[in-house]
Amino acid sequence: MMKVTHTICPSCSVGCGINLITKNQEVVGTYPYKRHPVNEGKNCLRGRECFEFLGEETRIRTPLIKKGNLVDSDWEEVLNMAARKINSLKGEDIGILASGNCTNEECKNLKKFADALNVENIGYYNHNFPKFDFKTGTLEDLENSQFILVIGDVLKDNPLMGRRIILARENGAIIIATDYPEKTTTGINANKYIQITSIREFLDKLDSEIQSKLDERSTIVVGKLDHKKELNKLYQIVSKSNSKLIPVMGDCNSRGAMNILPALDTDDLKALIESVKLLYVVGDDPVSYTEESFKNLDFLITQATTINNTTLLSDIVLPGAFWAEKGGSFTNNTDNTQKFPQIVPAAGEALDDVTIIQKIAEKLNITF
Amino acid sequence: MEPEYLLARAKDENILEKGECGGAVSSIFQYLLDCDLVDGVLNLSHGEDIYDGIPSLIEDSKDLIETCGSLHCAPTMFGELISKYLQDMRLAVAVKPCDAMAIKELENRHQIDGDKLYKVGLNCGGTVLPITARKMIKLFYQIDPADVVKEEIDKGKFIIELTDDSHKELKIDDLEDEGYGRRVNCQRCEQKIPRNADIACGNWGTEPGWTFIEIITSKGKELVEKARENGYIEVKAPSGKAVAIRGKVESVMIKMAQKFQNKYLEENYPSLEKWDEYWNRCIKCYACRDACPLCYCRECDLEKEYYEDSGDTPPDPLTFQGVRLSHVCYSCINCGQCEDVCPMEIPVARIFHKMQKKYRDQTGFTAGISDELPPLYSPEKE
Repeated sequence: MMKVTHTICPSCSVGCGINLITKNQEVVGTYPYKRHPVNEGKNCLRGRECFEFLGEETRIRTPLIKKGNLVDSDWEEVLNMAARKINSLKGEDIGILASGNCTNEECKNLKKFADALNVENIGYYNHNFPKFDFKTGTLEDLENSQFILVIGDVLKDNPLMGRRIILARENGAIIIATDYPEKTTTGINANKYIQITSIREFLDKLDSEIQSKLDERSTIVVGKLDHKKELNKLYQIVSKSNSKLIPVMGDCNSRGAMNILPALDTDDLKALIESVKLLYVVGDDPVSYTEESFKNLDFLITQATTINNTTLLSDIVLPGAFWAEKGGSFTNNTDNTQKFPQIVPAAGEALDDVTIIQKIAEKLNITF
Repeated sequence: MEPEYLLARAKDENILEKGECGGAVSSIFQYLLDCDLVDGVLNLSHGEDIYDGIPSLIEDSKDLIETCGSLHCAPTMFGELISKYLQDMRLAVAVKPCDAMAIKELENRHQIDGDKLYKVGLNCGGTVLPITARKMIKLFYQIDPADVVKEEIDKGKFIIELTDDSHKELKIDDLEDEGYGRRVNCQRCEQKIPRNADIACGNWGTEPGWTFIEIITSKGKELVEKARENGYIEVKAPSGKAVAIRGKVESVMIKMAQKFQNKYLEENYPSLEKWDEYWNRCIKCYACRDACPLCYCRECDLEKEYYEDSGDTPPDPLTFQGVRLSHVCYSCINCGQCEDVCPMEIPVARIFHKMQKKYRDQTGFTAGISDELPPLYSPEKE
């Protein structure tokens, strides 16, 4: 039985629609979703390959527990163990790390879970993008702009955001791109490319040509920051010139998670990990970017779909579900919250992540 | 086979009401499923609204009702779905001319077994991209696209029917002058009646409540006869006038298509400088290749070491688009899928269609129609 089902691409924060082709309950390919307003059936390579993770060899299919090495376990054993460890500690000794790939529903459940345990050390790594709540530009604003400033290689990293820049250029917009490399894909398709050595310096001494062009029909697209303070600087620039700002973050729910959980940069992340004894990681792989911080941790619980550096270091691994195996919602860069359905069952004994959080809560006798 | 024309409609009342033009197509599918002549029917079903056509495999004739009615805002392609995922099934498929052309090319390349397939053709004046349709209805009809319950392309007009049963229509020519209307590939397409299917069904020339069917193959002839004998459809002969009107509609549309070919492939064909600008945008995402129903090689040359440059974008157009062009342009059926899916808005199909047309003019080989393979086709790929 072949079926074509709409979903939202989990590969980046643009929030493109994509169709998954399933055959006998297995995802076998993708098909253009031309009715979707964000991307009109166009997807980048990463998007079209998004389903391949589902069948990866490193997929975690059963709960794992450390007995010397990580060995196969069962839900009862790992949940009891997790509950016992959590119960033995005060809220201040527990840390919870979600990810920008967690659905809105997972973030909400984690927040309630943390509140019930008086855990304040909670957040998700959002690279250098801080929490913000200002109104951002829309894809239509971008496409209809007369001037666009692009920070980072948005055409390459987020092609379906890049497409709107291309469309704007076709309509006569002037595009100025800036980034660190000598040459970028966005740069060669812009009217002008400015190679920089520091985003902060670039913003502090904003080119007079750019300043003169920024007005109510302009958009700044920012795909990278070196420090969270730079977003505020950008916000000041667009506020002064009445132009629009679109921050393009890394993960499919970076923007949604921000509304529920603290957005952490590298320093915040290190501080969080180093201040707790037990860490519960959901959907991220922090060991791969800050291994040092894990040295003093007593107990590590990881909820993940595939083996990664963090699961390898964990005491307990809880097998979670990929987006197509659970359903939920993601909020994209331009603040659209889009629901997506469960399309296939989770692999092996894996469970959807909200269920796992609730199962731990049950073991702890907490309700929310 | 000499062309044979008839008018047909459903005997089942539900299908008669919900189906397009008397529901003959749905009834023929119902016959095929009920009598176990096929394992499944591949057709379009409505998704969230009339702009959302989703390829659906129907295995129980009770579910056919979901696929009743035509959708013009669903530029889908079935060729690859069949060759990749449904090869093992006996299938009936509702084909637009471009679907039928893709299937034909894939049959010629032994990627689809034509014996397992019933191709029920649908006459096609062209499709409109769903988001373009919504923008156009808002902008030119000044109607909320959500209030449209049905759309129709007839006599050069794009007609919308609203929730209150009222109609609003505008000339497609005017919409297309403004960059809206049918996809540019559809504007250039000369295959309005899929004569490479088993039968070709449509509403041109017909009377209300009846489907005009042109029988094309002996398989198609038997199909329609058996569907009638088994009580699924009733048929009658069309009037000479109906046949003449249908012929006239077709020839007008073909003339228009030729005019558009001239416009897009000659007069307004992008300059070399403009092509350089287009190729500069390429992010080497392979979307064009993957969407092309004719590109089927298991090992694509583009991913072979000798063509792989450093991985930097843009790729050298000679060893990227150029290689693809040399492999498939002779067979290009102008379905436009490559262009539809290009994230960087490169009008890829233009160069492919232009090349195919040149090749056709020189050799007489029409992709998707001719029975043989293009003369430069390399059999080593099979």
